Amino acid sequence: MQPILETHQLTKIFGGLTAVDSVDLTVPKGTIVSIIGPNGAGKTTFFNCTSGYYKPEKGEVIFDGMVINRLSTDQIAKLGISRTYQNIRLFANMTAIENIIIGQHCRLKTTWMDAVVHSPRFVREEREAVEEGRRLLNYVGLEGLGDNLARNLPYGAQRRLEIARALASKPKLLLLDEPTAGMNPQETHEMTGFIRNLRDSLGITIVLIEHDMNVVMGISDHISVLDFGTKIAEGTPKEIQSNPRVIEAYLGPGGAALSEKFLRKKHHDA
Amino acid sequence: MNAIEKKPAKLSISTNLGRIIRTVIGVAVLIWMALRFYNVLTVEPFGADVWTRIAISGLILGGMYALIAIGYTLVYGILFMINFAHGEVMMIGSFGGYFAFEILKNIPTPTADDPSLTFINAYPILSIIIAFLIGMSLASMSGYFLEKIAYRPLRGAPRLVPLISAIGASIFLQNAAQLLFGPQRRDYTNPGILWRGTGWTVEIAGSPVIITYTGVFSFVLSILLMIGLFTLVQRTKLGRAMRAVAQDKKTAALMGINVNQIISQTFIISGALAGAAGVMWGIHNGLINHYVGFIPGIKAFTAAVLGGIGNIPGAMIGGLTLGILETLGPAALGIDFQLKDVIAFSILVLVLIFRPSGILGEALSEEKL
Amino acid sequence: MKTKHASPLQNGLQAGAIFAILIIFFILTGFNETAANLVGRVLNNQVPNQLPATINLVIFVILMALWCGGMAAKKPELDAPDRYSDAVFAGAVAGLLAGLLSAAFIYLTGSIAAAGTDMRGYFPEMSPDYINFYLLNQPLMTAVLYHFGIMLVGSTLGALMARGIGRSSWRKKLNQEVSSSTKKLSQNSAFERVMNSKYSQYAMFALLAAALIILPREWGPYWNYLMGTVGIYILLGIGLNIIVGLSGQLVLGYVAFFGIGAYTFGLLTSPQPHAIMMNFWLALIAGVIMAAITGILLGLPILRLRGDYLAIVTLGFGEIIRILLKADILEFFTAGPKGLRSLAQPTLFGQSFSTDVDFMYLIILAVIISIFIANRIEKSRVGRAWLSIREDAIVSQATGVDTYRYKLLALAIGAAFAGLAGALFASRNQFTGPEDHILMVSINVLCLVIVGGMGSIPGIILGSFVLKGLPEILREFEAYRMLAFGALLVVMMIIRPEGLLPSSRPLMENHKPDSQEKNQGEVVEDAAHS
Repeated sequence: MQPILETHQLTKIFGGLTAVDSVDLTVPKGTIVSIIGPNGAGKTTFFNCTSGYYKPEKGEVIFDGMVINRLSTDQIAKLGISRTYQNIRLFANMTAIENIIIGQHCRLKTTWMDAVVHSPRFVREEREAVEEGRRLLNYVGLEGLGDNLARNLPYGAQRRLEIARALASKPKLLLLDEPTAGMNPQETHEMTGFIRNLRDSLGITIVLIEHDMNVVMGISDHISVLDFGTKIAEGTPKEIQSNPRVIEAYLGPGGAALSEKFLRKKHHDA
Repeated sequence: MNAIEKKPAKLSISTNLGRIIRTVIGVAVLIWMALRFYNVLTVEPFGADVWTRIAISGLILGGMYALIAIGYTLVYGILFMINFAHGEVMMIGSFGGYFAFEILKNIPTPTADDPSLTFINAYPILSIIIAFLIGMSLASMSGYFLEKIAYRPLRGAPRLVPLISAIGASIFLQNAAQLLFGPQRRDYTNPGILWRGTGWTVEIAGSPVIITYTGVFSFVLSILLMIGLFTLVQRTKLGRAMRAVAQDKKTAALMGINVNQIISQTFIISGALAGAAGVMWGIHNGLINHYVGFIPGIKAFTAAVLGGIGNIPGAMIGGLTLGILETLGPAALGIDFQLKDVIAFSILVLVLIFRPSGILGEALSEEKL
Repeated sequence: MKTKHASPLQNGLQAGAIFAILIIFFILTGFNETAANLVGRVLNNQVPNQLPATINLVIFVILMALWCGGMAAKKPELDAPDRYSDAVFAGAVAGLLAGLLSAAFIYLTGSIAAAGTDMRGYFPEMSPDYINFYLLNQPLMTAVLYHFGIMLVGSTLGALMARGIGRSSWRKKLNQEVSSSTKKLSQNSAFERVMNSKYSQYAMFALLAAALIILPREWGPYWNYLMGTVGIYILLGIGLNIIVGLSGQLVLGYVAFFGIGAYTFGLLTSPQPHAIMMNFWLALIAGVIMAAITGILLGLPILRLRGDYLAIVTLGFGEIIRILLKADILEFFTAGPKGLRSLAQPTLFGQSFSTDVDFMYLIILAVIISIFIANRIEKSRVGRAWLSIREDAIVSQATGVDTYRYKLLALAIGAAFAGLAGALFASRNQFTGPEDHILMVSINVLCLVIVGGMGSIPGIILGSFVLKGLPEILREFEAYRMLAFGALLVVMMIIRPEGLLPSSRPLMENHKPDSQEKNQGEVVEDAAHS
């Protein structure tokens, strides 16, 4: 079956810095793929190239069989890729439910002329949009908070709202940038279950940037590791856990030996 | 992997339309300009003397624009705001110089040869220095207080808010000047050695061309000030601090730089330059009133954008370029001189359409996603 | 860690310096005279064609001194020590400084005048009569001492009063009483029910409708013209609000669309230079459409620009239009600086509908229709798209909004409103010329949108009244109008940047009818409690 997302030799260069260097990635449909790596490895830049914010210098991004490099971000959103952001970027002065309804924008059709005359299809579409908004609010657990301004919501609620907004356009592929950042273990656990549920019941393919290894090892079908813009490893969680290059990327040179020593000591003590 | 169908997805209509319109405009403008220029050159060609005169006045004007433009670019680079009231700071400088000369021309310093001699002609160089000092200090102080009162409380507000405040400050200062000094234009009384209209006469293409003393003076002073500023920014501790704050305020603060102080000093420096330009304007062009800073202010901002906003050499190049284009443009295109402002604004529009980052490119810190 | 507070000495010096500058400014600009006239109006002791009584000026200076002291004694931080002696000291210092500086200045100018020099070459207000006036018609030293004394004593007194009033317990109790009773009143469900009930809403609408129908007939052509101008500016405000307030694009050349609308109308209906003599309504529509087209054409190449650049480019564009309209060489097409005259007047069913009352009705109708249309568009998918563009254009596009297209749409619709306003304005004046389409108009509209409340239609209406109506009423201060305008902008941005009547988001999850929109304060409260 055709993978839903593929990148071939994706390269993004800023002036003198190659932020993403010839990265190949394959994301099969209906899976959860994590991209991990130390800070500055180019993970968010990779997302930005995939979602169309950056145009890569070299390489291609192929979504559902189409080369999407040259498209604008709204066209890509319409094709079915949604994302969330490392630093939450909601529409601060709009209410929570409005944020979600904007997410539906590319799936709605009425024009300003419909609005002025309140045509029947306008009335119907608005009503349906609000209902869908309510439904998504409930789905992410924000029922009742819909009329609060997005900027007045607590941090955890804002993260969930961002996901709800991303889901509103009925995406086939969801890019989540550090969805559990700043969360306590309880919230992290809920979020992990939530993400798994997205794949299981909604059939959405998910690509995840994460730093929390529990989350990554817990839900990923497949992991890719980036360091200094290049992919240094990929595989199942088990394979990645014992990959010495990955360990060195995080802990520095000699880190593999250190980690081995630590693990041996743990076994010894146990 | 090779068996997968890959079809390139289509670009949106609006992007294409925008591109088409841009190309059409560009080509149309270029053709029109070429035709008019050809017309001018063949039908009734100007002599080299006319071109020289125009080029010279363009350079002089450009020097003044450059000084004001540097002020805009400094402030924009640090605060990401258009200091709409900067033109008024120049106006304040020009009034400072005016009053300096007025006072100095009324201080009697009679000698045996000339009982009606006054200070301004007895010590002309000193008088000029005094005029510039007064003009530049008043302008600097205005810049300082402007920042303190109208901009600092709004640090961190969305972009629109400080801009409106700047517009308000500009209107306030213009009208304050009008109420204080009245709306009539005032004439600068230069010291004798810099009397307007006098200068070296040169023969070009058979006609006399006057290279005015005031013009040369203004241009040379502009260049000196620009060099001074460039040195300040590139070589001194203050300049380094300014560049650091422009790059990244938070990190600069963490490095021990007093960000507020640096910002104040930026305004003081940009005010001083604008003040100098104001005094020059008065010396060279003669007439000033409360409105004198407004249009040059807008044009200087145009120049700053033209050269690449945030880029100091860019502001200098942009200023000189705009000055020359503004004076040469109507002549080269055979257009009425009335429309010279249209040229200036059209240049702005065209540059921003085709090269939004300006001639030398922007020099601003990036927005991160 | 002990925080550094401004000492009373610093406060006093600061207040004194500020007031010294103010007083000198007032003297040089002749504001003293205007203020004294105002006092005279209150005391009813004005004599026409004469300078106001000196006692009026004395009263004004006393008031200034009191205010100076009040400012000096102000306690800036909550935990700063609060002693009577400090306050009095600050007030005295302020009075001393302000008094000394202003006295010195008065001495200076008084002596110059006494020496026979006329300062009017530099400061047009300083006529000998005026100088005598602020010398209180006394000999120089006496006047100087008076001014100094008033400032010193007045400032100290003012500080005392400010501190005294601030601290007194009865004032605190009064504040508490007032706030608790207003809270009780607004929380009283009966009151809320009355305010929000359908019946009272109908009643208010009926009252408004009656006013709009009856007043134009009764209040005479002056008010019709004035309120008509207010109406035109409301139209402009609605249009600019769509561009700036809703979609977040800062456009500084809005007057260009106003001009296109007016000139399209004018060129189609004026006997010179082209005698097309089109029907009023057709020309009106043509004006609207031309303006919208101009909006689109302008937007297409420049919408990709960053916000500040867009602002300057549109400013440039507005100026280009104005200069082109004024240029002699284009006179064959635009009638140049003379402008267009004898423009078409509205007709209703074949009969002329162009008295001042009729025009007022026409403008009212236009305003109502515009508000209706703008409101409906705002509360739709398009309006939400615009808001998302304003909030975060990059994310908005990534969420699926074709920002380019929607920005163009905003520009086109906003320009259309300006075109309508322009055509109506031209028709009403039976004239339009390049001087009607200057940068100041753009700035005026921008300010009324921002000061009224960005994105909010009631705010625009209020803003229009304040910015256009108020100066007429305060005609005393005509000369200072622009000055106050500029200061108002700065002050508004500092103390209330969201505007006088900021917009609030509609409730959609909990489906309350529009009449019960919560304001932002309540929304925050709810969030805190949920």
